[in-house]
Amino acid sequence: MLRVVIAEDAALLREGLTRLLEDRGHVICAAVPDGGALLAAVAEHRPDVAVVDIRMPPTHTDEGLRAALKLRHDFPGTGVLMFSQYIETSYSAQLLESGAAGVGYLLKDRVANVAEFSAALQRVADGGTALDPEVVSQLFRASRQRGGLATLTPPERQVLALMAEGRSNAGIAAELVVSGGAVEKHVASIFSKLGLPPGESDNRRVLAVLRYLGPAGS
Amino acid sequence: MEEEIRRVAGLILEAPLTRRSRRDLLYCGLGGLAGLVGFWILVVLLAVGLTVSVSVLGTVVGLLLITLTLRLSRRLGSLHRRLSSRVLGQHVAAPQRFQPGTGVLGRLDRRLRDPAGWRAIWYSLVKLPVAAVQVYALALTVCGLVDLSYPLVWVLFRRGSSSPLVALQPLAFGGSIEVYSWPGTIPAALLGAACVVAGAWVARGINAGDSALVRRLLGPASMAERVSELERTRTLAVEDAAAALRRVERDLHDGAQMRLAALAMNLGMAREKLDDTDHATVRELLDAAHRNAVDALADLRDLARGIHPPALDNGLASALATLAASSAIPATVTADIGTRPAPAIETIAYFCAAELIANATKHSYADQIKIKIRTERARVLRLEVSDDGVGGADAALGSTQAAGSGLAGLAQRVSTVDGRIDVSSPAGGPTTVSVELPLRA
Repeated sequence: MLRVVIAEDAALLREGLTRLLEDRGHVICAAVPDGGALLAAVAEHRPDVAVVDIRMPPTHTDEGLRAALKLRHDFPGTGVLMFSQYIETSYSAQLLESGAAGVGYLLKDRVANVAEFSAALQRVADGGTALDPEVVSQLFRASRQRGGLATLTPPERQVLALMAEGRSNAGIAAELVVSGGAVEKHVASIFSKLGLPPGESDNRRVLAVLRYLGPAGS
Repeated sequence: MEEEIRRVAGLILEAPLTRRSRRDLLYCGLGGLAGLVGFWILVVLLAVGLTVSVSVLGTVVGLLLITLTLRLSRRLGSLHRRLSSRVLGQHVAAPQRFQPGTGVLGRLDRRLRDPAGWRAIWYSLVKLPVAAVQVYALALTVCGLVDLSYPLVWVLFRRGSSSPLVALQPLAFGGSIEVYSWPGTIPAALLGAACVVAGAWVARGINAGDSALVRRLLGPASMAERVSELERTRTLAVEDAAAALRRVERDLHDGAQMRLAALAMNLGMAREKLDDTDHATVRELLDAAHRNAVDALADLRDLARGIHPPALDNGLASALATLAASSAIPATVTADIGTRPAPAIETIAYFCAAELIANATKHSYADQIKIKIRTERARVLRLEVSDDGVGGADAALGSTQAAGSGLAGLAQRVSTVDGRIDVSSPAGGPTTVSVELPLRA
């Protein structure tokens, strides 16, 4: 059970999200339509995680992102899951600047898979990372390290992508339908091929991968 | 050689008898008179305007006087242009129409920097000496004709009279010539003939100069001015296109995209519930999903129509009829379209009509809207939207707040294709907005 604050300007989605999360047994402390109200609600309720739309009034540009950055600074204990109709590489870079712990950035489309969306929210609330596959594939495309990536086998690239999304070894194993041992072997191979320091916790691992991939982490 | 001299002399002497000479003299009379009157009116207005502007309190009055002078100078310019065209057969195109700015200050600024207005003022000032010569040429001819008639006059009226006939002579010096006998009228007649010939040539010369001035100062703006005008309207066109794209993106983001996300969310939740026995909830979620799908379709349809109304493919008349049919206030369409306008022009006319109908619906409290569309002189497309409502739309065109939207936005969009918009909407109504567009962009 998580305590959640939702910031979303479209009433239809705000109510839908509220219902979806309540269905899953979470508690919605507040559902607000803009950045200012979000900051106030978080200060009041100290939730586990905030789901934040990026484009909100009054400017309809990056209101939500700015509010999220302030949240990360003022309330490090609250996870922030950005929730948007677009993936902007510069937004993910700003968001990850202060670390990958308790950060998520998902397309609104992902809500169609309730179980995965719920798992991502849980990860962020627990201090993990949840990056949209779209963010990761943009990073792969934009990566300056094409040479290193080329040395990976196709299964290793899959594992790297899932790692960058913020999944744990167990999560990756479930997604790819392989054993945990197989994933561990791939991960070790990736780390040695790319020259990354072997990481212990999931989000340090994410940071290492993102830093390797380029724009977002560096 | 001798023959050549005779030919030239003949030409010179015959000049007064030509049709051209008569036209020259007519122009000297009308143009000279208009020039003299116009000069004094403008000089007085300008002098008063400039003098009054110097004092702090009078600035407003002074500026108003100067803008009035500029408007008047354009009118006078058009009068001179017409005279030159009718009498001398010199056709000079009218300068660029005045493009009013937005807001009181914007209009004032545009008016004070109206190049065609200032050039027309220059013409009126330079015209004074020209008009003086023109009037003199006319006077020469009249003197000459009077003198020429003396031999006849003597025979008819002067037999036995003792007082002398005074021959008119056109110079300010040299005194006057008095004639006491019939033979004495012969030199007077010769002098008259010389005056008539001289008058014809002076008129021809000064009119040539005047025509050059008309072409230079009353014609269309110089290339540089036209270029800067085009640059201005091109900027408007680019901004307008960018704004339209932003609007489309915004509409998609807040409309169809949002509804589809909600639809996906409903379906996701319904799928989760499929294994439960809770059919009522699943049904409710599917209902919501269905509703969102239908709304998304409606949003997309509106958006697509906003980008390009399909009815336009069948021509403006049918598109406007469709538009009128969906108007909240009863609207009628009268269409008389000869040559079909270019597609871009049709699109602009359509969106102008849509905006004007929307304005009337929102603000006018009218019972009836009339939409008229017609082509004029195979060059101009005129759209007129009138209503019998409360009026007061002029203010909307002038207010800076409305810039970029509503009437001011329309005026901008229309100016990108050298069109113009006229609003007549006194408080109390009725309102008529007339949009004039070229048939080809």
